[in-house]
Amino acid sequence: MAFHILARFDGEAKFAVVVFVLLALIPAALGGYTTYILPQYMCFGILAMSLALLWGYTGILSFGQAGFFAIGGYLMGLVLSGAIPFGGFVVALLLAAGLGYVVAALLGYFLFSAGVRDAYFVIVTLALSIIVEQLAVSQSQLTGGWNGMFVMRPEVDLVVAKVNLYGDLPAFYTVLAIVALVYVLLHVYTRSRHGKILVGIRENEARLTSLGVNTAWKKTLAFALSGAVAAFGGALYAMHSGFVSPSLGGVLFSTEVVVWVAIAGRTSLLGALLGGIAVSWLSSIISAWTPAYWQLFVGLIFIVTIVFFRDGVAGAIAQISRKRRSKT
Amino acid sequence: MTVLLQTKGLTKRFQGLVANEDVDFTLSMGEVRSVIGPNGAGKTTFISMISGHLRPTSGAIFYNGQDITRQSLPVRASHGIIRKFQTPSVFTGLSVYQNIELSVIASRAASRHTAARVGEVMELVRLNDQARTLASTLSHGQRQWLEIGMLLGAQAQLLLLDEPTAGMTAEETNATGVLINDLTQELNLSAIIIEHDINFIKSLKAPITVLHLGKVFREGTFEQISADPEVRAIYLGTD
Repeated sequence: MAFHILARFDGEAKFAVVVFVLLALIPAALGGYTTYILPQYMCFGILAMSLALLWGYTGILSFGQAGFFAIGGYLMGLVLSGAIPFGGFVVALLLAAGLGYVVAALLGYFLFSAGVRDAYFVIVTLALSIIVEQLAVSQSQLTGGWNGMFVMRPEVDLVVAKVNLYGDLPAFYTVLAIVALVYVLLHVYTRSRHGKILVGIRENEARLTSLGVNTAWKKTLAFALSGAVAAFGGALYAMHSGFVSPSLGGVLFSTEVVVWVAIAGRTSLLGALLGGIAVSWLSSIISAWTPAYWQLFVGLIFIVTIVFFRDGVAGAIAQISRKRRSKT
Repeated sequence: MTVLLQTKGLTKRFQGLVANEDVDFTLSMGEVRSVIGPNGAGKTTFISMISGHLRPTSGAIFYNGQDITRQSLPVRASHGIIRKFQTPSVFTGLSVYQNIELSVIASRAASRHTAARVGEVMELVRLNDQARTLASTLSHGQRQWLEIGMLLGAQAQLLLLDEPTAGMTAEETNATGVLINDLTQELNLSAIIIEHDINFIKSLKAPITVLHLGKVFREGTFEQISADPEVRAIYLGTD
């Protein structure tokens, strides 16, 4: 069995290396606009992984991920504009993750220790998205209200060298490196003891409680981590896109995140990452082609995937490779 | 012998229904006890109050001399009071290895011992050649053993077994009896076993507590209980 786990680990790790190498080659291969826009989709990939951790691994669905993403985005904007009078890009990223963690931990603590679960939890996370969006609108002296907030790309002092993120190429590779780091950390986390407990919660929470695990506490930690990752992704996105607006925290965007992850496969971090990138990329291609109907097309893809592959594309691939292995 | 578990005046009412009334019960360390009684006698309610799944209406529970009446379910489990459910409750989507591994993780054992401990437990419950099998594809009897294995992995001191042989073939039932006797003797564990299968209860050679209408009706050896006309009457009716 230990070999079995190792084999699976190597399988996805190898695949991940290929994916990141291919992503690194994209500026050379496609260049231009793709180099500019792809890092933003990679930030959506981080957001998708934050949901996969919660939904795919722990079995808790959240419609509040965009709320955390926006929290991170605004925080980055406030730091880089000097409204928060300390720190720079790196500090803002860490602050965003910390704030996302604290907000999610507080919310999770009250909800999970009170036994709130399933649809009721989803409704509260939905409300969280709405609250963040409304706050972004109403606190216009800080956030710019409906007009949104412009974020200046910074120059980052990396001890060895100064990187000016204003150029698209350095920005691309900075974001790619950070995304890869987040993926690796989350991957290691899901294979830790705590990560295994999350899977146990998904599979049979009552059994785990009866074995002596305080699952409310573990779920709170999982939600906090997921909030931290989503806010971190939002902060990175804000730096790159140069603009945050209230809709970034809204219910609509939260729903899109759920769609990405459902299509790509919620039980695979790499799947979710690729889903976040591919589906949001595809969405923008379709919306450029048919601005009125693009959501209809994404909706169709969503329905078809769910009907034919309940566990998304990654789930289908895993199933095929399992069948092949059992044949040999 | 040292007393492991004691209940005093344990009572549970659901609205108007009295499920358990004034149950005084004592279990020594290393003892196995069968709890029998007709349907609705309050057997599962009794176990649920000990495991922490239900809060008693009144009365008290002592474990190792400590009052645990107000302790939560996970805290009791971490002290070794762990329950097997009437319908086997396992992680169906995970392999046998992963199931046991989760129980070992739940016991907070040092991680460097996890793999060895999982191997030990799989051997104890005779599932070591099924390590990679998904729990959902095990036979009903094997699933029961897997759940017992999870109690061992979580380092249970007191096994609460609610119908461990339900749905088993005669052969599996026999093997389960041997397994439980081996485990309790080799590892010095204690167990409370709810059962209906009279041959299984006989094979356990354990003292028996008879519950009837929520109260302790009789306690004694298998021979005493099986010869008791009043016990026969509550099972079969008198008129």
